[in-house]
Parts: sequence; structure tokens; C-alpha cells
Amino acid sequence: MRLLTHNFLQSNVRGTEKGYPLNIEVTTIKYEESPVDKEFLLNLLPKVNYNALVAAVKQMSPHCEQPLPELPETMDVSNAEQNQNLDDATISNLHKVLFDVYLVEGWLICPDTGRKFPVKECIPNMILHEDEI
Amino acid sequence: MSRPELTGHASLFYNEKEARKYDSSSRMVGIQREITERAIELLKLPSNRPSFILDVGCGSGLSGQVLEEHGHVWVGCDVSRDMLNMANERIERKREEAMGEGDSSEDDSDNDMNDNNDSNNDFNNSKGGTEESSPGDLLHHDMGTGLPFRPASFDACISISALQWLCYSNTKEQIPKKRLTASSHHYTKGARAVLQFYPESSEHAILISECAAKVGFAGGIVVDYPNSTKAKKHYLVLSFERSYKAPQGLTGLEGALLNEGRSGSGGVRVADKDPRRAAGKKSRGPPRKKKGGGKTKEWILHKKETQRKKGKDTRKDTKFTGRKRPMRF
Ligand SMILES: C[S@@+](CC[C@H](N)C(=O)[O-])C[C@H]1O[C@@H](n2cnc3c(N)ncnc32)[C@H](O)[C@@H]1O
Repeated sequence: MRLLTHNFLQSNVRGTEKGYPLNIEVTTIKYEESPVDKEFLLNLLPKVNYNALVAAVKQMSPHCEQPLPELPETMDVSNAEQNQNLDDATISNLHKVLFDVYLVEGWLICPDTGRKFPVKECIPNMILHEDEI
Repeated sequence: MSRPELTGHASLFYNEKEARKYDSSSRMVGIQREITERAIELLKLPSNRPSFILDVGCGSGLSGQVLEEHGHVWVGCDVSRDMLNMANERIERKREEAMGEGDSSEDDSDNDMNDNNDSNNDFNNSKGGTEESSPGDLLHHDMGTGLPFRPASFDACISISALQWLCYSNTKEQIPKKRLTASSHHYTKGARAVLQFYPESSEHAILISECAAKVGFAGGIVVDYPNSTKAKKHYLVLSFERSYKAPQGLTGLEGALLNEGRSGSGGVRVADKDPRRAAGKKSRGPPRKKKGGGKTKEWILHKKETQRKKGKDTRKDTKFTGRKRPMRF
């Protein structure tokens, strides 16, 4: 799972208020570079929850061989027009953290209920038990 | 046509053996490709730009592969871990291929130049040309229990040949209506969803379209090739614009969408216009005709057969079955 997907993922266990963002417990991760698609990134960016992304990078970074690019602590990405002015280095850094680092094995943890969703071979298991629906 | 949905839960049907069989059948690959291409066409994405798309019931990634070829980024969820494992294998193969290509990148530099001059480029990303996007992310999830995403996550949603699984309950707790309406709030405002499915009967098609109407989405069912038993396909086309009311809003898809919601008897109607023609393309295949009010003999026989399979009391087939009755006054 990429941080791109993580940024939109939410726990819907019964009894959750927000279920977002899921905390990440890393067992293994991988890093794999991919070409930057600037148009897609600019289209996506207004929907990204930037604070959740920064938090996720902090949880993943200590487990990476090469440190992940440093993102500014805060940034307003909600304005599509304003995002057009982002410089290439920032675009490339955002791409790296959203697309190129994967949680391979580990857990995703619901911030409200503490429910742990296992991640195996890059695939989070979000299946709910009958009493959680 | 046999109905695997009647055999139990999808995660049991799509086991390792079945998943491998599914993924390696070139017939299946071809069919799923064609349906997905059509679904993408019906999505009418803004000016073909690369979008963020959810693929519900993504299986081994046959539909996702087509999304990638169109340059879209996708996330897929499926209830069968074995199907997802096949999808993972496909990702692995793709990575190996990409690495192989990387070594010989000089060889195709000529082609790259040509690509750059090609006016048919779908989008101008940094590399130029219609780049295949990187493989989608996968989630193990049951779509009948609501989707695990925050609101307004995706630009669009597709679901290819999976929705019919929600029409059956495998346990007491599984109520089809509830399961069908569970997944609805995850798309960007104005986003479209195209869900191709195989209704067992017109009741199922009605159930599905009613559930869509209940959660307040505009749209309806497009039926391609209604007169062909083999090629006939149902697409539920939805617009996630809650404020949407009048038909004028659907300018891109005139005639190809039903806005009336429930219609008298049928519930399912065939697009008045050929949607391909509406989209300014040449129509392939036979022209689509309006579905007549009456039920055909084939339909009745099929229906009776499935009722029998479910163990229901069904009258014997005779030469009178499905015959036209004389008019009475
Ligand atoms: C015929 S396959 C289609 C797969 C893929 N979309 C394609 O075009 O090749 C149907 C898929 O729907 C999945 N499915 C059935 N019920 C489901 C559910 N409740 N939630 C998620 N996926 C489901 C099955 O596991 C199976 O992989």
C-alpha cells in the first residue's frame, strides 16, 4: 500500500467517529521509484489531507534505508490554482512520498477504536468481523 | 449460464484454483477488457485527464490493467484474497518487464521522439505520450459493508462483473438491499460511477437501480446489445451530484441515462439512443432496440430454471410456456 492510498483510507468499524487517519505500524516497507505524473498530482493534490500525509511520512521514515524527503510541516494544498505555482522539487518530493514508498508488512490502526488491520504483501485486510459492521 | 453467486460467498468461489483459471483465460481477459473500455467511455472523464479511480471487485486486476493503459491511477478492493494474490503476481510481472525495458531504453529513443510529435497524446505528462500508469494499490475488503475511504476520495468508480454478488445473501445477516446501498459516499462531487453487472433476472436489475435511487444518486441502467444473449451487458451509470435533478444536467450522456428512476413495469430500460453515437463515435455491433414490454420465452425458461435451482416450487415447462395469450375483452 502506498501513502497515496493511506491518505484516503478510513476505518469504518462500528463505533468509530472519524476513523482517520489510520496509524501505521511498520514491519517492512519498500521503496520503488516511479516517473512523476505532474498532471495527475496537481489534479489529486486538493483532495490530499496534508497533515495526515506528514504524519504518515514520520511513521514510515525511520524504517526507510534512505530517509524520505522532508516535507514542510504545514502547507495548504486545497487550492488547485495556487498549486500550479509549486516548484518542481516540491512536486517531486510529494510524488515520492505518495507513490514510491510502500507498506509491505505491518498494521494499520484505527485511531478511535484501536482496531488493528493487518497488512500482508502490501495488501491491507480491511474485512470487518460480523459484530463490527 | 451457471451462476457462481448461488454457490456461496465470493471469497470461497474465487479460491486459488478458480482465481488462476480466471486470470489466465484469454477469453476472460478479452471480455473484461472490452467491458472496461466501455465503462471508461461511459464515465466521460473530464478531457481524458489521468484520474484517481476506485475499482470495486477488482479481482486479479484485468479491469485495472485497462485503467493503467489509459493512464489512470486506481485503487482496487476485492473480497477474495486469492484474486488479490493474482493481482499481486501481475504487478510483479509488470515490474520485471519495466526493469527489462529500462536496460534497453536507448533502443526505443526514436519511438519516443515520434510519440512526442503525435497530436493524439492523451495528456502531456513529463514524459510525453500516453504513459501507462503504475500498478494500482489493492485492498482486501467486502464492498457490501461500506467502503473504507473518507468522503470524496475518488474522481470516479468502476465495478466490472462484481455487483451481482451483492444480490444474494449467504447468511441471515447479509441483506442484499443493505449491502447494495452500503457503498456510496466516496466520490468527488460530480464524479461518475459505472458498474457493469450480470443481473440474474429483471428483478435483480430493478433491485440494483432502486438501491441507487434510494441513496439519492441520479442515473440509470444502460443496456448494450439487449437482443443478444451473449453480448448483452448491463451498466449502472450513476452521477454523484446529490443536488442533481433535471435531465439537462446529463448533457454528455443524453439518452444513455435514465432519470425517471423507477419506470412502470420494466425498471430497466434500454438507452433510447445509441450511446456510442451520442458520443460521436461509430456504432459497432447490432443496433440497440427498445426492450419490449413482454417477457420472452427464453427469459421465462431461464427464470424457471434458476428458481428450480434455488429449490423453489416451479411449474413444469410445456409447449404453452411463454406463449402469447389471445387478447381478451
Ligand atoms: C468476475 S470477477 C471480476 C474481476 C475484475 N473486475 C475483472 O474485470 O476481471 C468478480 C469479482 O468480484 C469480487 N467480489 C464478489 N463479491 C464481492 C464483495 N462483496 N466485495 C468485493 N468484491 C467482491 C470477486 O471476488 C471477484 O474477484
